Amino acid sequence: MRIELDRPRCEGHGLCEEAAPELMHLDDDGELVLDVPEVDAADAAAANAAVRICPVAALRLSV
Amino acid sequence: MTAPAESDVDLWDDAILADPYPVYTELRELAPVVYLPRNDVYVLTRYDTIRDALGDPETFSSTSIGFNPMVNEALAGTSLASDAPLHTQLRAVLSANLTPRALRGLKVVIDEKADKLVAALAAGGGFEAVDALARAFPLDIVSDLIGFEGPVKANMLRWGQAAMQVIGPLNQRTQESFPIAGELYEWCSSVTARDLLPGSIGRGIFDAEARGEIPAGYAGNIIHQYLGAGVDTTIASIGNIVALFGRHPEQLELVREDPALVPAAFAEVLRYWAPIHVWGRRVTRDVEIGSAVLPAGAQAGILFGAGNHDPRHYENPDTFDVTRNPVDHLSFGYGPHGCAGQGLAKLEGHAIVSALARHMKSWTVSGEQRIPSNITRSLEQLQVTGVEAA
Repeated sequence: MRIELDRPRCEGHGLCEEAAPELMHLDDDGELVLDVPEVDAADAAAANAAVRICPVAALRLSV
Repeated sequence: MTAPAESDVDLWDDAILADPYPVYTELRELAPVVYLPRNDVYVLTRYDTIRDALGDPETFSSTSIGFNPMVNEALAGTSLASDAPLHTQLRAVLSANLTPRALRGLKVVIDEKADKLVAALAAGGGFEAVDALARAFPLDIVSDLIGFEGPVKANMLRWGQAAMQVIGPLNQRTQESFPIAGELYEWCSSVTARDLLPGSIGRGIFDAEARGEIPAGYAGNIIHQYLGAGVDTTIASIGNIVALFGRHPEQLELVREDPALVPAAFAEVLRYWAPIHVWGRRVTRDVEIGSAVLPAGAQAGILFGAGNHDPRHYENPDTFDVTRNPVDHLSFGYGPHGCAGQGLAKLEGHAIVSALARHMKSWTVSGEQRIPSNITRSLEQLQVTGVEAA
């Protein structure tokens, strides 16, 4: 599974980082960095939570 | 496949606007989509249905966010009321200065202002919370931020209220508010960079227009949205903070014991009483919801408060609980049209919750007054007495 980011749509609300701190973080400029874009089964739940919580639907999962 | 369930509820009845939650429960338990013949609106009532609709802008178009054709025409060309690709372009400029990253420097200023205001109110022992706090605070913050001064500043409250009111159906409230909203439309169509304070976000919109990031002539539309969307909603949420913690002192006590609960507490206030009652969409194709078909061309109405109290999504939804942390509440909407100002709203809300918890141990509320309003559900008056200062 891969996490995909619609970069122009991301506004840096940071809820994804709270949901999946192991997979992504906001850098010093408030830009989202996907630390682990390819997720395995162990991280699937966290990845799903992060995708779901984005208030502007800037994240999605592809298989 | 069948036609959607029907109800003879009038969504804009005075009594329902004052307290819509019993009707929300009735409609939500009836079906996920309910046709209201008296309003000619198909309301979406359940959490998942609402979220799916907001996440599918191709099926649920924003070209009819309002419930009368005049307002939709007046809002054409704002990011609020447009679809992609124009929406994508307008939204980027609108939100560039409102994102959490852009607002980071502002947190200190907002926290200080809230602290000072709330400390003074706490020391007085009692106050009228709507004028003195719920209105005073966001008006101060937003006017500085957008760069308003002079007569515009004095008009912000009535323009902001009217801009929301006219989104309703063509009832008396809408008709009375159109002339006032018209003043706002006119001012926004003639506003220039020089009318806004240097260094402000408002000035920044004109700079973006000059750089060609939005089509020429669109800067005024964005200023219009800042005023229309950013004032009345935040006022509602701050009034609700004071009312809900006045009713639930034990919940305030939890925040006082653990200030890390401040963001969760504000999210719960927003979930518990949605500042926006209903918002429109135009259905672009026949869409199946449950066992019913929502027909192409229908006017949909999204009931954020009904979704926020859906027991299919939140346990004990009618309990106000600051430890719940409902980060996925629907009060900011969701998806590409999700509230562009939510970063600012949170800065303001967190600052107020935190200042109240710091300066007051408890207070009593009385005289809770609501004037029925088409779109925003806001307190008109709220008396705070018996403040026990901390």
